[in-house]
Amino acid sequence: MPPLGQVDVPGVGLHRDGRWRLPADGEAAHAMIRERFAAAANLLHTPDRRHFMRLMAASLALAGLAGCDDDDPHDEIVPPVTQTEGESPTTVLTYASSTLLDGFANGVMVTTRAGRPLKIEGNPKHPWSRGGTDVFGQASVLSLYDPFRSQSVQFQTRDSDLSAFRAAMLSPLAQLRASGGAGFALLLGPLTSPSVMAQIAAMQAAWPKMRVFTHVPCTREAAYQATARAFGRPLETHWNLAGARTIVTLEGDLLDVGPQQVGAARSWAAARRASAASGLLMQMFAAASVPGLTSAKADHGLCADPDLVEALALGLLARTQGGSGPDLPEEAAAWRDAAFRALDAAKGASVVQAGLHASLPVQEAAQRLNAMLGNTGRTVLHTEPLQLRGESIAVLADAMRHGEVGTLLMLGTDPVYDAPGELDFSGALSRVALKIHANLYVDETAVYADWHLPMVHPLESWGDARALDGSAGIVQPTIAPLYGGRSAAEILSLLFDAEPRGGLDLLRAHWLDAPGGDAAERWRHALLTGVFEDGTAPLQSVRAVAGGPAKASPRVVGLQLAFRPDPTVWDGTWADNGWLQELPKPLSKLVWESAVQVSPALARRAGLAQGDVVTVAAGGRSVSGPVWVQQGQADGVVALWLGYGKRAVGQLSAGLGFDVFGLRSATDPWLAAGATLHRTGETRVLASTADHARMNGSDVVRIQHVGAPPVGDGDGEQPTLYGGHRPDDRAWGMVIDLDSCIGCNACVTACQSENNIAIVGRDEVLNGREMHWLRVDAYPVQDRAPASAAGDLAPLAASFMPVPCMHCEQAPCEVGCPVEATLHDHEGLNLMVYNRCIGTRACSGYCPYKVRRFNYADYSAGAAPSIVEQRNPDVTVRARGVMEKCTYCVQRIAEARAVSDRTNTPIADGTVQTACQSACPTQAIVFGDLAMPDSMVSRARRDPRRYALLGELNTRPRTTYLATLAPPNRGEG
Amino acid sequence: MRQLFAPGADALLRLALLVVSVGAILMLVVVGAVARSDYVYGVGVAPEQPVPFSHKHHSGELGIDCRYCHTSVEQQANAGMPPTHTCMTCHSQIWTGAPMLAPVRDSLAKDEPLHWTRVNHIPSYVYFNHSVHVTKGIGCSSCHGAMTSMQLTMRAKAFHMDFCIACHRNPQANVRTPDQVWNMDWSPPADQATKGPELVAQYHIRNAAQLTDCSICHR
Repeated sequence: MPPLGQVDVPGVGLHRDGRWRLPADGEAAHAMIRERFAAAANLLHTPDRRHFMRLMAASLALAGLAGCDDDDPHDEIVPPVTQTEGESPTTVLTYASSTLLDGFANGVMVTTRAGRPLKIEGNPKHPWSRGGTDVFGQASVLSLYDPFRSQSVQFQTRDSDLSAFRAAMLSPLAQLRASGGAGFALLLGPLTSPSVMAQIAAMQAAWPKMRVFTHVPCTREAAYQATARAFGRPLETHWNLAGARTIVTLEGDLLDVGPQQVGAARSWAAARRASAASGLLMQMFAAASVPGLTSAKADHGLCADPDLVEALALGLLARTQGGSGPDLPEEAAAWRDAAFRALDAAKGASVVQAGLHASLPVQEAAQRLNAMLGNTGRTVLHTEPLQLRGESIAVLADAMRHGEVGTLLMLGTDPVYDAPGELDFSGALSRVALKIHANLYVDETAVYADWHLPMVHPLESWGDARALDGSAGIVQPTIAPLYGGRSAAEILSLLFDAEPRGGLDLLRAHWLDAPGGDAAERWRHALLTGVFEDGTAPLQSVRAVAGGPAKASPRVVGLQLAFRPDPTVWDGTWADNGWLQELPKPLSKLVWESAVQVSPALARRAGLAQGDVVTVAAGGRSVSGPVWVQQGQADGVVALWLGYGKRAVGQLSAGLGFDVFGLRSATDPWLAAGATLHRTGETRVLASTADHARMNGSDVVRIQHVGAPPVGDGDGEQPTLYGGHRPDDRAWGMVIDLDSCIGCNACVTACQSENNIAIVGRDEVLNGREMHWLRVDAYPVQDRAPASAAGDLAPLAASFMPVPCMHCEQAPCEVGCPVEATLHDHEGLNLMVYNRCIGTRACSGYCPYKVRRFNYADYSAGAAPSIVEQRNPDVTVRARGVMEKCTYCVQRIAEARAVSDRTNTPIADGTVQTACQSACPTQAIVFGDLAMPDSMVSRARRDPRRYALLGELNTRPRTTYLATLAPPNRGEG
Repeated sequence: MRQLFAPGADALLRLALLVVSVGAILMLVVVGAVARSDYVYGVGVAPEQPVPFSHKHHSGELGIDCRYCHTSVEQQANAGMPPTHTCMTCHSQIWTGAPMLAPVRDSLAKDEPLHWTRVNHIPSYVYFNHSVHVTKGIGCSSCHGAMTSMQLTMRAKAFHMDFCIACHRNPQANVRTPDQVWNMDWSPPADQATKGPELVAQYHIRNAAQLTDCSICHR
């Protein structure tokens, strides 16, 4: 079972049988290395004997230096001038706050030490996230310290200051006040903040002629329009899956990255676990044109192009209404009928979900289906739209071109980069007399603006934002602004209020003025729990209005371009974050770049191989990029990822991937029809980690059909010739539930954040030198694909497997180390002692799980001083020449042990949470003491689904897995 | 033909080889000894500080408790350094005009912290926890020496790994009763051989094998 993303390289017989198999003759091997590991090609020129001797002598002579300690023994201790009683600079403080994605909140706790926010943890008290986090939240702590952030006010790209800006604004503002805001346009990025919305409403009341526009690249407009058609008014949709038995997704994004991910995934995992316990597995049907996490986790997938998805949606609607629906190909009809039966059997306990990028008829059909099935109000819930909805950016571009905009304020948005290409936004912008722009970075738009103001990061400012369920979360500062900067609320106040007010003032004014209740108590509650009591947007009860979705549009000829937010950089908002750039995309495992994703059938027809550079053209515009062939993608659909091809000079993201916003249209931002695709003849080696760290073994992912005999290992242990490692007291262990894991990568980013894991860059990833201690492997699961679907049109059913160090009781790596730098402690941890390690890498060779990472080039050295501030002081920053790997977050164990020793109380179950565990939105990872019979991990280990990865090797891993679940009958509800 | 080498040449060669090899070994020994010497580690050397603070005067003669300034020593890994405010609790009343204390007054007045030079240093890959040691009966003076008799603060021990390990292997020899932890002049009492193991059991100190797990100090 080769991992996903595995596509043979033409001409090289590598892993054709799913195993490492180097070509026999040297030339072919060299060709393969040049092909696949371009950055290592220079190593093919083997040095001659003298050169070799010289290198060896030099490295021997310098070896001693490597042992030198470069710490300054006489550095400074700088205690504060005053200090709160009971606190010291090393005291860990946590603040309830929110991380933001597209303006939507995810409730989190921010851990700070010595005044520096270091780590994002989940907030179990938050009603939507319930302790879960996503990759963006986890990585936001790195963006905070980013030295490339905008650091000063700029006037026409030259450094200026705030007083100059305020002086320059005096006369334009006086004019605006006099004219009631005539000619003033405010363009905002995604925003759900109730206080800022109130501020804008107040502005509009005072300046009736001002216009408010919003630009959301991952627009929710289709969803709002669909609810408007189905229920008579635009609504926001969220889900409560408790008790649900069937989920049908149509181009769904329930589990995919986005503001819905954390809450929906939490709810999905809980419902799935509860249903499995009851013996009636909650099943998910997914029809998708571009595979994602939702369709990969579905029990009944269908690979369908957008037209077919539309036909399926209308077909389901028709069947629910008692009709028969349009004729469909056999396989699609079978899927539709099975989905219908499952929905029909679970009325009021099912969900039909359409993703943001589904077409309007599909979204409307989904809403109507939910209403008809009685799901609305039970599993499918509605609130008023949470995002601010102004006029669209297309209208703004038009207004600018007609000279209707004299002053434009662009807040937290980068339209020159991410506006649809057909609008020619930068061209229209030149017609505006005064252009003010504020954002976190000096981005593409900043260059076109007259004034650019730096904004603050959410971790250093006051604010509020709504989660998808409508709850209003607080955004608390955890550090004073690093680079100056102001929040959106402060900038608006700067321009609008006679006396500019600070973020705290503005926020308190909004929430403390709210009627009813004890204002001080409400504020205190928000600070402690992260949520404003009574601030939640009320649920709306809805009733379907007459009508129905528009008939399916006629099938288009030619290719369709499907635009999708990138799973690691979203719409480009996160493109400057190194952790997210180096985070492998869940399915393709690509890093540091984007690709033109095509189906295997299309690749074959067009003669395309992985990495062939193609030109994609639609609507008179074109982009070029390398091809990625993806199983599970609908034929005739070309997927393009937003968020790459940024051009702002001097930023991390500059020059990575290619920009697809040019191909987008304002009317249908998610799909462009009639596209063409041409080979350019060039090829590019793609940096995908799908091939890296491969394990030779069988039965890697096990599948437990509900009701079938258990597939787990049971209680028995294989005999061993080695003496047992018997713990003296504690025995740390981990169990990972493969059924709950949705492959979202939050654990990988959390691990990177907690353990000071270095970023290595694209070239080093091509060399196979990425440093992630925890990787998430994706394996195709044939059992979950319908039996009838075969070949190119088979949906992609995948199981995601997080692989940290297994902490084997009989660890092969320990046998390999000549200096005992890796060895066991008495609590069962397989330790890595960096200061002993001499870098033979034998342990890595001996490790069957391939979880050890070698620091080849001192990746952590030379980091910007601000980045150094982010590092966890409890974890050694590893130097060059040292092997490293997952430690089970030994620093957290050590802290718990110190508390336990100090107070003479045992470590209670759940006290030690590894970073990956606490980050997981689906609670797929359980960690704890196996010596405690009632601990969560001991109970999970007794689950009949439990098995050891590569158990045949008898390494007795402490990390074990629970088999992924599958419904009892294939293809049938 | 005349012989090229005199009869003693062989002996000379052997001697030379011996001298070279012995010299090489000696050099290694000397370099090793110097590298690990107290001299290199700066033991007994008091680095220059913004204020010539005397532990002998404050702690020894005036009897101020260690924890008055090092407040987090019983709760946290770090013992804690006093904020300027702590100095000024007394020095706003006494020695208010002393020129020696000008940096402290300036620090408070200008709200600029004092910059002390670190005296005791361990490598970045070693994680020492003060709170566990002092609550388990290991006194300050075991590592820091008799602070109460130090006019200027200096390093008392080099903190080689064998210094730590020696005690982790045999905590009985150094463990004290709780009231003696802050005693700077503590030396093992005559009955330490019987008292030590009792205290180890009383404090629930783990056995030597567990205390010398690498993960106790390195992570």
